[in-house]
Amino acid sequence: MPSATLLGQSLLSGIFIGGLYGLLGLGLSLSWGYLRLINLAHFALAFLGAYLTYQLAGVAGMHILLAVLIIVPAFFVLGVAMQWLFTRFSVGEFASLLVSFGMTVIIESAIQWLWTADMRKLQLEQGTVSLQVGTLFVPVTEALMFAVAAALSVATWAWLRFTYVGKAMRASAENPEIAAAFGVDHRRLALLLSGVAAAYAGVAGTFVAVIYTLSPAQIFAWMGVVFAVVILGGLGNPLGVLVAGLVIGVSESMTMAVIAPTWAPLVSFTLLILVLVLRPDRI
Amino acid sequence: MRWQYRAAAFVCVAAVFAALPAFRPPAFVESFLYLVFFWVALATSWNVLSGYSGYFSFGHGAFYGTGTYATAVLATRYEIPFVWTLLAAGLMAALLGVVIGAVVFRVRRLRGELFALLTLAVTYVVATIVLNTRIDGGPGVFLSGVSPPKLYPNAGSTIYVFGVGIAFASLATAWAVQYSRLGRGLFAIHDDEDVAEVLGVPTFRFKLAALALSSFLAGVAGGIHALFVTYVTVSETFAVTVPVFVILMSVLGGARHWLGPAIGAAFITALSYAFVSGESAVASRALIGLILILVILFLPHGVMGFAASRWRLFRQRPPESDRVAATPQERPAAPGRAAGAVLLSCDNVRLGFRGVQALAGVSLEVREGEILGLVGPNGSGKSTLVNAISGYYRPDFGRILFAGEDLVKKDAHRIARLGVARTYQIPRPFLRLSILENVALAATFGAAALDRKAAHREAGHWLRFVGLAERSPALPSELNLHQRKFLELARALACRPRLVLLDEVLSGLTPAEITSAVALVREIRRRGTTIVFIEHNMRAVLELVDSLVVLNYGEVIAQGLPREVVRQQDVVTAYLGAAHA
Amino acid sequence: MLEARALNVAYGDAPALWEVSVSVGKGELVSVVGPNGAGKTTLVNAIARLLPIRGGSLWLDGAEVTHTFARDMCRRGVAIIPEGRKLFAGMTVEENLEMGCYRAGARRFRDKTLGRVYGLFPILRERRRQAAGTLSGGQQQMVAIGRALMARPSLLLIDEPSLGLSPIIVEEVFNVISAVHAEGVSVLLIEQNAAMALALAERAYVMEGGRIVSEGRPADLLAQPHIREAYLGLDAGSLQRPG
Repeated sequence: MPSATLLGQSLLSGIFIGGLYGLLGLGLSLSWGYLRLINLAHFALAFLGAYLTYQLAGVAGMHILLAVLIIVPAFFVLGVAMQWLFTRFSVGEFASLLVSFGMTVIIESAIQWLWTADMRKLQLEQGTVSLQVGTLFVPVTEALMFAVAAALSVATWAWLRFTYVGKAMRASAENPEIAAAFGVDHRRLALLLSGVAAAYAGVAGTFVAVIYTLSPAQIFAWMGVVFAVVILGGLGNPLGVLVAGLVIGVSESMTMAVIAPTWAPLVSFTLLILVLVLRPDRI
Repeated sequence: MRWQYRAAAFVCVAAVFAALPAFRPPAFVESFLYLVFFWVALATSWNVLSGYSGYFSFGHGAFYGTGTYATAVLATRYEIPFVWTLLAAGLMAALLGVVIGAVVFRVRRLRGELFALLTLAVTYVVATIVLNTRIDGGPGVFLSGVSPPKLYPNAGSTIYVFGVGIAFASLATAWAVQYSRLGRGLFAIHDDEDVAEVLGVPTFRFKLAALALSSFLAGVAGGIHALFVTYVTVSETFAVTVPVFVILMSVLGGARHWLGPAIGAAFITALSYAFVSGESAVASRALIGLILILVILFLPHGVMGFAASRWRLFRQRPPESDRVAATPQERPAAPGRAAGAVLLSCDNVRLGFRGVQALAGVSLEVREGEILGLVGPNGSGKSTLVNAISGYYRPDFGRILFAGEDLVKKDAHRIARLGVARTYQIPRPFLRLSILENVALAATFGAAALDRKAAHREAGHWLRFVGLAERSPALPSELNLHQRKFLELARALACRPRLVLLDEVLSGLTPAEITSAVALVREIRRRGTTIVFIEHNMRAVLELVDSLVVLNYGEVIAQGLPREVVRQQDVVTAYLGAAHA
Repeated sequence: MLEARALNVAYGDAPALWEVSVSVGKGELVSVVGPNGAGKTTLVNAIARLLPIRGGSLWLDGAEVTHTFARDMCRRGVAIIPEGRKLFAGMTVEENLEMGCYRAGARRFRDKTLGRVYGLFPILRERRRQAAGTLSGGQQQMVAIGRALMARPSLLLIDEPSLGLSPIIVEEVFNVISAVHAEGVSVLLIEQNAAMALALAERAYVMEGGRIVSEGRPADLLAQPHIREAYLGLDAGSLQRPG
């Protein structure tokens, strides 16, 4: 049985990676929940964001915040463009799965072509700073990531809950016709939401770049887990995604600590299978 | 072409490919062709379930991987001869498939995206288990010591021949399924599973059978591939490549035809092979991604689908020749007014959804040979009752007796077999089957349970009856509403039901069309079928029905002779509303 | 105020309305009655521009709106209370009401109008944080009416308000409609319950099979056999029909 410190450290790292899962899942959950589009390209976008961060902040030596300021709006535009494409070709829910997969493959190839399959690591001086709290080490960047993930989740929840545009989004998802009868322009909302989701992917990507080593193959490695998070959290539920991310992140890291690292995927996928079979109306 | 000639041609082609190594081609030709056949086997086996039925599985990798590891472990650790390991590989994969299917297909209305994700999750679970247990444990499995039977002096050539074998076995299976009863049921499930079930297709069994076949073939292909690569690892075997490529290949080539996936497989494999070195590998992947997008957007039915629609246009077949064939057995025409025994009785049927009591204790009787009208204001429960009788909904309470059997606990397809048919208010034809095939399907799976030829004759008969015979080869989308309603009618009648439930057959028709529809309904009754006629058009109802039941708020408020019922005060109030002071 | 001239509307290739002409004057309450399947809801949806109009034209305050988008109709002062309520079930009562004043012109008056609506329906104030889908049928109907009132409309399209409601609630609902009308809002009321609809209306139309078969003042319509025929298929005068 591992020591209390190890367990505590695992718990902490589980929470942090849970935050990242939540952040990655947030955009996907929004487009699936409100636009009925399963946008696999979300992952590719996140990694594109990661590589761009690497390029701008690492290779070109820009300040990391400047890189973020460039990437996030650019990705917003990309998101809008993608949604425009989906609408233009009347892509339905299932077709969106396949089309976005095609996009993912294209983006992944582009990444590999530009940056090769070699591992890339962004080295930041502040990147590896850790605070010591008791016997536990708290890596600052990861804690910051968790804070950002939580903040974005709450902000999105608040936006959906309290603003007119957010309410219009929810109403339109339930009954687009009647919402239109009261003045809601669904197309414009869809473009907005898609842009926001893509921007979130960009933010997730910058954190991935700072914390992890990058390689193109990883795009696919994260897909399964993040899908599990999105479905468990409930489509279109920003707080749910965060909570589901935490649940899966912590149970994975505890499994890694107590049993063995390689058993970790079993946890999330078994949970996913159970939810899909027992509660299929979650989707 | 008669099928025997086709089969012979098929075997010849297979033999030619199998004999290729004897001609000592360059090594890369064998490797390349093996890969093509490998993907043909995988894509075709995937298509048997997913392309035909529409349940897109993202988990083909799990079955393929099970087969790979079965062979790898059995051949190295237990030294079982290669060929036997292949059998084990197939069976284990099939077992996995059946277990998944038994659990998952029972979940009602498991939608496409859900099934896709579920099967993807299963793949990850299987991969994790394989990685963490003694099966692989981490380092992978080396098959260098394993040798296949000596079909050719060169091991590589032998593996190639096995590849040919599994590819052609898959193609033969896909071909056989496509033209069998199983295949026709799967295509119906693809277009509208609920309607297929109501017409008598045993949807659960059929999906399970297709999944078993699909996974067996994938398992065997995996076993063969283990020997080809000689070093098996979890990350390579369970990578996302297999599930994605098989989908792409099938969609590209045409998922509704047995040859489609093979075309797609050949094309994509050739494309990847052409770009095999360094930088171009990346370009080829990007190209494949682009092709996937373009195919989904512009060629959603794939190459074979496109070809099939051109072929159909080119060759509009004339209607089935009017042979002096046996007309379907007519039951002795019942006497003019309902005098037969009770055929259907509902006894205090209750059904509620989410707090709304749709049926609040409905009791009624339908006599053999009569036309019973079922009317009531909007929301009174008429369609719910039809859905309950036909088996789509299960009542919470009460009995529905049909010819002595209680329908309440039966699956919809069994109810259809007993002789109950229904139409839908908004017609739901199988959109990708021709009109003739739509009706023939009902004849095959319904109470009549006819074989293929007889089903087609029966279908032709009913299409003549409703006046759609000349449009037999057309697709339902080419018909107008009136014709689609009549197609619905023909399809319901082709089951040779004892009882048919007509749900608002007349809605949306012009007065002239209504007149011809009413005449048809009379003729149906004359031939001995009992009819429950749900309608809003009271003029037609009064002309047609022998007995009238009025529903309101899920209860029967009146039953009896039409003229009398319609004059009852509570009926008038239910319809016209009470005037309050 | 509203004029529909010879509308032809179809669902796909299935025609639903043939040459239907109705009009609603400023401040008038006009009813359209008829049996189920007559096309009443189709008519309302076409007027609200939720359905495409294939033939004929639609005029609002003298301007042609035949091809206007549904979302712009709201701006022009048209609000709909749809058949079956069609509330945003997952949102709260108050949020549903707020969606009513989504359009810029009405948003400014949110608090004032909301106060009015709660005044009309006190029970909604109590339940304003409750999910709309969990309310009873009658309460949902109140929310639907309130939502439309939040848009501060000049023309209300009301589609089958009595559907699925018990007689007592129906009476309440019709009282509210009457009160709203009294404040000067023009109303087009679609109803299956001919008796109540005609009691309220100044003018009425009878529809059957996608066409207008009769129009006039309620008293005159009630005296004629048309309505009974349309609903019950019976000639009020004859008792025997040839078998």
